[in-house]
Amino acid sequence: MSQHENAHIPDWNEVRTALAEAARKRILILDGAMGTMIQRLKLTEENFRGERFKDWTLPLQGNNDLLVITEPQMIEDIHYQYFMAGADIAETNTFSATSVAQADYACESAVYDINYQGVLVARRAALRAEAEDGKRRFVAGALGPTNKTSSMSTDVNSPGHRAITFDELVVAYGEAITGLVDAGADLLLFETITDTLNTKAGIFAAQKLFRERGIDVPIMISGTITDLSGRTLSGQTPTAFWYSVRHANPLTIGLNCALGANAMRAHLGELSDVADTFICAYPNAGLPNAFGQYDETPEFMAEQIEGFAASGYVNIVGGCCGSTPDHIRAIAEAVGKHKPRVVPEADKLLRLSGLEPFTLTSDIPFVNVGERTNVTGSARFRKLITAGDYTAALEVARDQVANGAQVIDINMDEGLIDSKQVMIDYLNLLAAEPDIAKVPLMIDSSKWEVIEAGLKCVQGKALVNSISMKEGEEAFLHHARLVRAYGAAVVVMAFDEQGQADTLERKVEICTRAYKLLTEEVGFPPEDIVFDPNVFAVATGIEEHNGYGVAFLEATKIITDTLPHVHISGGISNLSFSFRGNEPVREAMHAVFLYYAIQNGMDMGIVNAGQLAVYESIDRELRDACEDVILNRREDATDRLLALAERYRGAAGKEVAAKDLSWREKSVEDRIAHALVNGITEYIDADTEEARQKLPRPLHVIEGPLMAGMSIVGDLFGSGKMFLPQVVKSARVMKQAVALLLPYMEAEKNADGNATGRQSAGKVLMATVKGDVHDIGKNIVGVVLSCNNYEIIDLGVMVPTAKILQTARDENVDIIGLSGLITPSLDEMVHVAAEMEREGFDIPLLIGGATTSRVHTAVKIHPRYERGQAVYVNDASRAVGVVGNLLSKDTKVTFIEQVRAEYAKAANAHLRAEEEKQRLPLAKARANAFKPDWSNYTPPQPSFLGTRVFEDYDLETLAKYIDWTPFFQTWELKGRYPAILQDEKQGEAARQLFADAQKMLKQIIDEQWFHPRAVVGFWPANAVGDDIRLYQDEGRAEELATLFTLRQQLSKRDGKPNMALSDFVAPAGTPDYLGAFVVTAGLEEVAIAERFEQQNDDYSSILVKALADRFAEAFAEAMHERVRREFWFYGASETFTPEELADEPYQGIRPAPGYPAQPDHTEKTTLFRLLDAEKNAGVTLTESYAMWPGSSVSGLYFSHPESYYFGVAKVERDQVLDYAQRKGMAVEEVERWLGPILNYIPGPTIVAAE
Amino acid sequence: MGRVEPIPVTLVTEPTRLLALGPDTALLRLPANSGHGHPDGDNCIACAGRNDVRAMLFDLLEGAKQGLRPAFKNVVVDASAVPDPGQVVAALTGKLPAQAMRDHTVARLFYLVG
Repeated sequence: MSQHENAHIPDWNEVRTALAEAARKRILILDGAMGTMIQRLKLTEENFRGERFKDWTLPLQGNNDLLVITEPQMIEDIHYQYFMAGADIAETNTFSATSVAQADYACESAVYDINYQGVLVARRAALRAEAEDGKRRFVAGALGPTNKTSSMSTDVNSPGHRAITFDELVVAYGEAITGLVDAGADLLLFETITDTLNTKAGIFAAQKLFRERGIDVPIMISGTITDLSGRTLSGQTPTAFWYSVRHANPLTIGLNCALGANAMRAHLGELSDVADTFICAYPNAGLPNAFGQYDETPEFMAEQIEGFAASGYVNIVGGCCGSTPDHIRAIAEAVGKHKPRVVPEADKLLRLSGLEPFTLTSDIPFVNVGERTNVTGSARFRKLITAGDYTAALEVARDQVANGAQVIDINMDEGLIDSKQVMIDYLNLLAAEPDIAKVPLMIDSSKWEVIEAGLKCVQGKALVNSISMKEGEEAFLHHARLVRAYGAAVVVMAFDEQGQADTLERKVEICTRAYKLLTEEVGFPPEDIVFDPNVFAVATGIEEHNGYGVAFLEATKIITDTLPHVHISGGISNLSFSFRGNEPVREAMHAVFLYYAIQNGMDMGIVNAGQLAVYESIDRELRDACEDVILNRREDATDRLLALAERYRGAAGKEVAAKDLSWREKSVEDRIAHALVNGITEYIDADTEEARQKLPRPLHVIEGPLMAGMSIVGDLFGSGKMFLPQVVKSARVMKQAVALLLPYMEAEKNADGNATGRQSAGKVLMATVKGDVHDIGKNIVGVVLSCNNYEIIDLGVMVPTAKILQTARDENVDIIGLSGLITPSLDEMVHVAAEMEREGFDIPLLIGGATTSRVHTAVKIHPRYERGQAVYVNDASRAVGVVGNLLSKDTKVTFIEQVRAEYAKAANAHLRAEEEKQRLPLAKARANAFKPDWSNYTPPQPSFLGTRVFEDYDLETLAKYIDWTPFFQTWELKGRYPAILQDEKQGEAARQLFADAQKMLKQIIDEQWFHPRAVVGFWPANAVGDDIRLYQDEGRAEELATLFTLRQQLSKRDGKPNMALSDFVAPAGTPDYLGAFVVTAGLEEVAIAERFEQQNDDYSSILVKALADRFAEAFAEAMHERVRREFWFYGASETFTPEELADEPYQGIRPAPGYPAQPDHTEKTTLFRLLDAEKNAGVTLTESYAMWPGSSVSGLYFSHPESYYFGVAKVERDQVLDYAQRKGMAVEEVERWLGPILNYIPGPTIVAAE
Repeated sequence: MGRVEPIPVTLVTEPTRLLALGPDTALLRLPANSGHGHPDGDNCIACAGRNDVRAMLFDLLEGAKQGLRPAFKNVVVDASAVPDPGQVVAALTGKLPAQAMRDHTVARLFYLVG
């Protein structure tokens, strides 16, 4: 073929200038739809095949692009019609002419020819038109999106999968572009962009070709917005899309297809505001109707597009699907009256994007780059990544974004993993999470190949961290050009052939040199350059280091003053390296440093924003000492800060520091033991590292000194010389040490190729059962067991049976531990036991939690699990012994025999006791009801009816109402507060715990960790039998709800009544009232506890949960007091101190459904509905009627002076039948919820009760 | 809490079997050319995506989010006009290739009942 002879190669610089000049004078016209016109020709298969493809094995009808080869005259005529209708620019008929899209027809081999011929056909039409009227016409080579996407998965079940890669797209686009350029296209038009990353690959391919040929073809870029969210198909906002492709320096940016002009308008307006280049818009002729046709008339469409022009949004307009030469003619006429948009100047600001845009404007003094998704900066993230737990690793990213990170740093530089592959996998998964992918990414690696692999995965404009002149200018320029070609901004380290810059002169010199190279040689936009002038450690004791802080600060000033538009970043934590372990001092140093650095022009940093102290709030003395060091103001600055630093060690260390440090002189084994027993974390990293180097294998450190230390802890705990809070602190030390060793053990494992993992004493699976959210006790048992070398798999709360059993099987666990606090959990545990039996398990089952009991385990759980053994464990200190016995070959059999004998005895005793307790038939019990004298009593009237909501209740006020005794019980320190603080045995542990609790309490209050909410309500009420009826209003005609109550059926002596809660409410005739409430400490507890867990700090995690529980109880108490004194008035004159309140000396009660006075949890539904608690307090009910969040309290308010808390105890079948009927609930269902208090075996036979 | 309950989608394929709609129900009537765009060669991804059932569900969601329509807890999709309802089922069960980020969102937030 002699096609090259036909080609007319334009001077592209001349084309650019001519188009730009014309576009400034008038609105230019692009053509309309090609497909619509081809459709009208009603072509047959033969037309598509022509001569060249007549023997093609696949049908070719519909492969419109082929027509430039097989029916060139038809296509030329369509172009000509458009030109004559007023189009200045025609798009070639090459939308699908890439090897990717042509694969559907097996026409990959024709791709070059289609593109080449496509240009020639259009050019012929242009020349014809020009000859006719003398007006210049242009040919734009159309490049469609291909039919595959590189930035998202086509499989919704496998979001990390990609049907095509960036590199494959570069090849495919490269081939198409070569055809278009060889044939002399005036422009390249990337259109109908459905995936920005595809287009970035196209731009990359184009620029590669341009560089090879020494040409610069003008590029047009047109995206597609397709739905109400105003996003591209790949999820970007119009501005984010613009930032992603701006590096192509396109002649136009714009939108086409999918929407009619009307729907496109707002998105076009957005682009018009931000884009500092021409805007091109070519919408569809409306939306497709039910027959797939577009029914906007030329006049209507022209009117809409004229609106774009009138608003000054556009420089070039045309039409997409459904438009015809008539439409284009009407459009050209309509916009001819209007002036083109004036291209705005864009400030030189750093602009990045994820799915959403980010612009570093002057309003943002400092960009916090999230550092948690960095394996070198976060031990937890490293662990998740090395373990391949991408789900949890994505959560880390999600949390950072949720917590306000404006950019997130992704670093996978870990020796033990394939960093490049992991970077690709993680970024691909992350791209499918709209709430993470919305922010821009910092692709961080010391390896160029990892950075490059990362850049090929992101559709947004990322920031590369980092490149430098370490390997010389050539490599630096090469990397910089590629960063630019991938459309990213860059961090440049002050590093050259001689090394890292440490002095002011070197920092400034290297950055200046890099700036010149980047801006002059590469054409890198200066606003896209971020310099990192190297933060080094100060106060190291080495004199040369003293000036490092000042050098950075001064360099920052000079660089930002002399190198326009650049930014300064740095890794702040290096600064305080010599104060590792002393967080208060480190935080103070960082805050002081940033205070000066930001003033000097630093505007970005990889920091843990949450851990940054506020400059103003740092102790004056510490601040001055830090400033002396950082600003190098006096010779003895380091010594003074060191001396001062001792005083600022963590709370736990405060006393230790005061005490002697002579234990630091001992052997490493002794030091580790000391640290474990005393719960000191400061030195454990160094000591563990020392032990690791000393011992042949990292595993030996665990099995040797660490376990030796823990067994001392275990002994002390067992003998009552250590207490739970202290043990949990020991566990924190242990975890930190193990975390340090794990990577080495993994490395060893990979090296030998065989598993030589740590030999744990056994695997224990722990779970809070389905429907229940309480886990403090379970967490404590888990920690204590892990201290004793058991491996704990904690499935968390609300765990369904199937998951427990599946995990038990998959992980091959040795024992299962179940926990639960509310009574429905008892049944759930029975269910788990029965399922274990059914599925053939025989491993031991531990039962624990506040409502569980030895009797319940013996009577209900044990008989359902005969293959194995269920064992009730009443507290954490017993757990180690029980598990040890159950897992030891020697003791297991005898231990189980003992347990079984014990349970048989307990079951028998229970049976006898129950038999002896005479129950009354319901009718007799009712006859013996509590009957206050209503005739001489007027129930008090509440000050309002309906509900009242309390938001963000003052934490400091609530803290005064905290009852501390249960707090100590949580930690298994038994005794009343405050006496327990002086207890001979437990006193020390209790005091330390109390001190820690007070410290956290202060933080909770000062930093507003919780936002307590409450809703309280009152309604007119009267007793109706055993029920309490609530009314809409004082008229008491319209019923609002009925609260059902249960009556004691015990045979009572001495004239004592058989109580039901309804007895405390007056019957009809006497106006009475009932109140109800839900309070919660707030939803924040869960996230805070989780954060501590992530830091391996179970102690603080449990502490914060225990305190949240206390706040909820305190809130209930405080609210009850206000109810008595303000809202219901009857206790207006009472004066009790909060301490006295704990003993409930006041009038009235606040019982909760699910507790002894009304054991039916399902009544909470009514209570929640009345209060609209979900909306008003943010508290929800689980399927077992536990409240979520767990630190919530609910209940009913009774005002009667003689009301008191009682227990319903066991109920008979007659009451259950009656109750079920009253409540309108199936008997079986009532029996299920009342299971723990049924005094009979539920079954089909109904025994007459009388 | 951020726990989001997936929204049930009931598919109706015969015009006579339309369900009674509750106040929490959104009705989505699919056009005959659902998922097919227009006859311009049938290959315009952007247009085909517009009337795909997933795009329309996404618009329902987005509409509710922007307050343009009432919130809903379930959806009835009337596909009685669609010649090949199998395609709609395939789209709703994750068996059709995703064409847009929103298809991932829809896959997570909706499920086909029955």
